[in-house]
Amino acid sequence: MDRNYIIATVVIIGVIVCGVILYAFYSGQTAQQLETLQNLVDDTNYKTSLDAIPEKIISLAPSTTEILYALGLDEKVVAVSDYCNYPYDFAAWIAEDKIKSIGRFDAPNMEVIASLDPDLILGTGGVQGATADTLRNLDYKVLILNPPNIAGVMQNIELVGNATGKTAEAATLINNLNSRIDAVINTVASAEFTPSVYYEVWYDPTSLWTAGSKAWQNELIEKAGGVNIFADQELEYFQSSAEAVIDRNPDIILLPAQGMGFGEPFWGTLDDVKARPGWSTTSAVQNEGLVQVDSDTIARAGPRVADIIEDLAEAFHPELY
Amino acid sequence: MSSDETEITYFRRASRWKYIVILLIAALIAIIIVSLNVGYAQISFGKILTILGKQVPLLDSIVDSSLILPSEAAIILQIRLPRIIAGVVVGAALAASGVVYQGVFRNPMADSYVLGVSAGAACGASFSILFGAGFSFFGLRIIQVAAFIGALFAMFLVYNISRVGPRVPVTTLLLCGIAVNFFLYSIVALLEVIAGDELHAIVFWLIGGFSNVLWSDIWAVFPFIAVGISISYFYARSLNLLAMGEETAQHLGLNVERVKQILLVLASLVTAAAVSLSGLVGFVGLMVPHVTRLVVGPDHRILFPASTMIGAIFLVICDALARVVATPFASTLELPVGIITMLFGAPFFILLFRKKKESYAL
Repeated sequence: MDRNYIIATVVIIGVIVCGVILYAFYSGQTAQQLETLQNLVDDTNYKTSLDAIPEKIISLAPSTTEILYALGLDEKVVAVSDYCNYPYDFAAWIAEDKIKSIGRFDAPNMEVIASLDPDLILGTGGVQGATADTLRNLDYKVLILNPPNIAGVMQNIELVGNATGKTAEAATLINNLNSRIDAVINTVASAEFTPSVYYEVWYDPTSLWTAGSKAWQNELIEKAGGVNIFADQELEYFQSSAEAVIDRNPDIILLPAQGMGFGEPFWGTLDDVKARPGWSTTSAVQNEGLVQVDSDTIARAGPRVADIIEDLAEAFHPELY
Repeated sequence: MSSDETEITYFRRASRWKYIVILLIAALIAIIIVSLNVGYAQISFGKILTILGKQVPLLDSIVDSSLILPSEAAIILQIRLPRIIAGVVVGAALAASGVVYQGVFRNPMADSYVLGVSAGAACGASFSILFGAGFSFFGLRIIQVAAFIGALFAMFLVYNISRVGPRVPVTTLLLCGIAVNFFLYSIVALLEVIAGDELHAIVFWLIGGFSNVLWSDIWAVFPFIAVGISISYFYARSLNLLAMGEETAQHLGLNVERVKQILLVLASLVTAAAVSLSGLVGFVGLMVPHVTRLVVGPDHRILFPASTMIGAIFLVICDALARVVATPFASTLELPVGIITMLFGAPFFILLFRKKKESYAL
């Protein structure tokens, strides 16, 4: 009997010790996680504090939707904008009522948002700044992701990971993206020639718009081994002139394949571009340097950044691929 | 004053008018040459003359163009020159029709857009941007054709609504114009809301501009504008009579209703052609006639041709400014010309008006 008592005592003590150790371990982790959740600082330097990992998330912008799905948060996203079309055909989902729509990207429907009672809302800057202020006044938790560059996208992914309890997934995704981008940089480093690139934002009879050094696309072009012909203009997107393009003589003309998003491209056909007055003198038109890129991938500061850099590098340096 | 004296003062004035017209033509030519030098690409004046000389038959064999880069010739002949000519044509058209509208309505607030022409053009253009992609009309851009048709449609709508029997009273015409304007602009706003991606195209068209205009775009509207302005000029005396009031003009032998009808159709045709080329460039049609009136007086025989030329000069200057005014911030930055016309035109007008307001008469 004595032996049985001793065994029982040892087992009981063992269970208690294990319990205490496990409790200490988990409570420590929860405390750490809680501290992360309570200190979320977004791109507008606004500090958001969450009490628990959010269960219902609304995404107001295509780029934030792409980050959420890249982190495997499929089940938690309850509504997206009408402009979200990746990684799934959300328009069809909305039609089937599999997900809700908050309406237009530049004018989200506040009543829809309120009726869904979200724990977290992700949006982007620019036209959504005012929306974010309104939502915060209504006590919603809003993170604004408006990255100025590729490093900013990585920070955004980390922030969303922290806010949703997907810290490890975020770290894996960031490592993956960085190594793919580094691979491209290493490949194009051996190129003998750096093509000059004109990225077209808009062209019609009234005006021509392009991207300067502060635009997101400037860095994409650089990483892919090209140089933006307007890299010396310290602007984001701006109205320039056809004569500036012709004078700066680009080797590559980047045309958004679906125009501003979906539907007919504003630039018409490749023959229309070649036939623009005076453009035939550019190296791009003379040497088949007209390149169509996916309008969304090149415009969205999201997890497809490595995809677009790989595509651009292939177009700029076909000899290396 | 005896009739002899009246005749002498008239001839004295008429000879002064001749000088004004010659002066303005010279100024227009000078402005065109100067603005050919204005733009992002630094192309010397000598090179510009060489490029232009190469285009003149007979002269082309003497001119040595071996130093000219193909891109420089392309920039001057295919980008800057069409822009400048578009500025001349549109500026002249808007100012000329502005004089006619203000004269017919005897209202200083009347401008080339008053009969719903601008809203009609905007409506037509917006529809074609949303639903007309890929279509063309005898090689013309669908937006140009749609804007032209929209403008004329709006004008006929306003004219027919406001007709009372055989007469078209000015007050009803103005009020109907305003109502139709609001109605059509609400349709434009509706189209903007449902436009999605094409919103950009609508917004840019509404601001107005002709940065990337083609020679073929200009030739398409030139006949309407040239014929419209030329015929309107022969009604300058009728406009002078109308300025004394419709009843007086009628008593003096003018077929008021008929003249009004002809002038409004002509002016609307000219405006419609101009806006179909440039989008809605504001201010020119309203303010240029007033500025000209401050300088040459209210007699339409000089006011009409002088306004036409000052309109052309004004818009060419504004477009040149649009090309360079923002370059201190970034060397390739341009502004929309529709913004320049208002931004620089309005303060200039206020300055001139403050100086001369005592002597001002419509």
